[in-house]
Amino acid sequence: MIDDVPLNWFLYFSAASFAIGLTGVLLRRNAVAVLLAIEIMLNAANINLVAFWRYGTPAAGSGPMPGVILALLVITVAAAEVAVGLGLVLLCYRRWRAVDVDRYDTLSG
Amino acid sequence: MPPNVVPLDLRDFLCVAPAVVLALWGLVVVAADLARFRRLDHESRRVACGRVTLIGVGLALASAVFLAWVDALAQSDADRLVSLFGDSLGDYFGRTDGLIFFGTQARGLAVDVVNVLLLTLLAMVVWMSTAYRFTDDVGEYFALMLWSTVGMMLLAASEELAMMFIALETTTICLYIATAFERSRRRSPEAGLKFFIYGSVSSALFLYGLSLVYGLTGSTYFDAIGRMLHAGEPGLAGNLAGASALVLILVGFGFKVAAVPFQQWAPDVYEGAPAPVSAWIATGSKVAGFLVMLKVFVHAMGPWSHPTNSVMGPGWLGLVAVVAGVTMTYGNLAALAQTNFKRMLAYSSIAHAGYLLVGVAAASVSTEGPTSAGAVVYYLVVYALANLGAFAVAAWLARDKGTEAIADLAGLGGRSPFLAVCVGVLMFSLIGVPPFAGFFGKLYIFMEAMRQGPSDARIILTWLVALGLLNSVVSAFYYVRVLKVMYLREPSGRPIEPAKPALALPIVATAALVTVLGVFPGPLVELSRAVAFPMLTARRLDAPAADDLPAPAPAPGNPDRPTD
Repeated sequence: MIDDVPLNWFLYFSAASFAIGLTGVLLRRNAVAVLLAIEIMLNAANINLVAFWRYGTPAAGSGPMPGVILALLVITVAAAEVAVGLGLVLLCYRRWRAVDVDRYDTLSG
Repeated sequence: MPPNVVPLDLRDFLCVAPAVVLALWGLVVVAADLARFRRLDHESRRVACGRVTLIGVGLALASAVFLAWVDALAQSDADRLVSLFGDSLGDYFGRTDGLIFFGTQARGLAVDVVNVLLLTLLAMVVWMSTAYRFTDDVGEYFALMLWSTVGMMLLAASEELAMMFIALETTTICLYIATAFERSRRRSPEAGLKFFIYGSVSSALFLYGLSLVYGLTGSTYFDAIGRMLHAGEPGLAGNLAGASALVLILVGFGFKVAAVPFQQWAPDVYEGAPAPVSAWIATGSKVAGFLVMLKVFVHAMGPWSHPTNSVMGPGWLGLVAVVAGVTMTYGNLAALAQTNFKRMLAYSSIAHAGYLLVGVAAASVSTEGPTSAGAVVYYLVVYALANLGAFAVAAWLARDKGTEAIADLAGLGGRSPFLAVCVGVLMFSLIGVPPFAGFFGKLYIFMEAMRQGPSDARIILTWLVALGLLNSVVSAFYYVRVLKVMYLREPSGRPIEPAKPALALPIVATAALVTVLGVFPGPLVELSRAVAFPMLTARRLDAPAADDLPAPAPAPGNPDRPTD
C-alpha cells in the first residue's frame, strides 16, 4: 500500500469530475448532454466510495466492504435512472421536436 | 481481510411484509390489466384496475396492522408471542432490538405506524385516481404508485446510507414516470423531465456528500456515523471534507423536500403532474423524506448540529434555521400571487416544509432529546392529511373543467354545501386555525423550538418562531381566498359538477380526520413521540458503545483532514 497512488489523488480526481459534471448540468442545454453530465457526477461519487474503501479504516461493526457494495448499487441505480431519463427525453422530443431544455417552457410563474 | 459472511435471517422478510405485498401486487395489477381489463372501455377498465389495486393496498394494510399488533404485544407480553407463533418465530417477534437485514432497516411499532399512515394515504390517492381519465395506461400507472410506496416505506425505515439511497431512488424514479403520465397534455411530460433533471442532480449531489461521510467515518450506518462523529474532533471548523459533506447532503434533502433555494421544481411538477400524482409527491414522498432527514441529521449527524454551542458557528443548525426561515417566507409570499389551485398548493407545501425544518432544527437542540422530534411527526401526519384532501379538490377541478383555476370553484358553497364546508375545514387546518389539527401541529413545533437548548439557540429559534407566526398570518390570505371564491363568487360560466364518491370521500375523510385530531390531539401526540424515540435511537446491539471506540484514525494522505 505504501507504493500505491496516494488517496488524495483519487479525491482530487473525483472532485474534478464532480465539478465537470455539475458545470455540464448547469451550462449544457441539450437534454441528452445533461443526462451525461449527471452520470459523470454519479461516477465521481463512485470513485470516492471505492477509494475510501481501499484506504480507509472500517468502523467497528460496519461490515467489511460497505463502500464497494454501495458503489455497485449506485451503478445499478444510475442505469435505471438513465433508462427513465432517456424515456422522458424521447417523450418530450415527440412533442416539441427538440431536445433543448430551454424550449420546454409551458410551465412557469 | 476476508469478508466474513453473515447468513441472512429469512424471517426478516416478515417484518417488511407490507412492502413485499405491494411490490408483488404491482405485478398482479399489470398482469390483470393486460389479461382481463384491456378489452373493456376506458371507464370500466380504470375502475377495475383501481379496485384490484385497492385490494392490494388493503392486503398490505392488513399485514401492517398485524405487525403493529405483534410488535405491541412484544413490548407488553412477549411470552404470549411464543405460545402463539412457536419458539423460533415467537422469539424472533419478541425481540425488541429493532433492526433487521444486517442493521440496515428498522422494525418495530414505530415503523408499523408509519407504514399504516402511508398505506392509508395511498388508498385515498388510488381511489382518487379512479375518478377521472388522465391516462390510457392505467395498469402501469397503478403499479407505479404501488412501487413508489414500497420505496417510501423502506425509506422511512432505513437505518443505513446504502439502503436509504436505494429506497430514495425507488421512490423518485417511480414518481418521475408517474408525473409524465398525462400524455395528452404538453405540460405533463415537461414536468416529468424537469422533475427528473432536478431530482437526479440532487441525488448526485447527495451521493457525493454521502461518499464523503463514508470516507470520514468509515461506516454507512446512521448510528455508527453518529458515534464516530461524537468521538471524533468537534465541528467543521477547518474541516473541508466534513463541511462539504454536510452542505451537499443538506442540498440533496433540500431538493427532496422542496426547501428554498432548491424549490424551483416543485411548482412546475405539482402543476404539470396529474392531480393524484401531485398529491402523492406532496404527501407520501414528503412524509418519508422528512422522516429520513430527521434520522440523518439528528441521529447520524447530530454531533455536528452545534458543536461549539453557538448556533451560527460551525454546524448544520444555523444553516437549517436560515433555510427554514427563508423557505416559509418565500413559499407564503409566492403563493399569494397564484391563480392555479395546484400551483398554489405547491407554494403552500414549500411553506410547510419551512415550518417542518424549524422542527428538525428544534429536535437537535431540545432538552427533551429524541422524543422532541414527535412534533415533526405529528405535523407531518396532519399536513399530509390536509394536503391530500386539498389535492382531491384539484382532481375534482381537473375532471370537471380540465383546468385547476381557483376561480372555477366559484359557487361551490351553494351547489355542494357539505363538501364546501369540508374544503373550508382543510383550508383552516392548513392555515393553522384552532380547533383544527393544523393549529396543534404548528403549536407543537413552535413549542419544541422554544424549549431551550443552549441559550444562543433559544434566541435564534425564538426569532424563527416569530417569523413562523407572521407567516401563518400571511398564509391565511391565500387560503381564505379559496373560501371567498367558493362562497361569495357567482360562477361566470358552467358551474362545477357535484363530485363523485371517489373524490368526495377523500375530501370528507381528511376533513373529518383533521377535525378529530384537532379536537383530541392527545393520543396522536403521544403516538408521535413514541414513534420518534426509537426512530432516532435505533442502534445495533452488537456494535460497541461510544466510550470503547478509539478516535478515528486519519487515513494516510487524506488532504482534507485538519489533523494532517
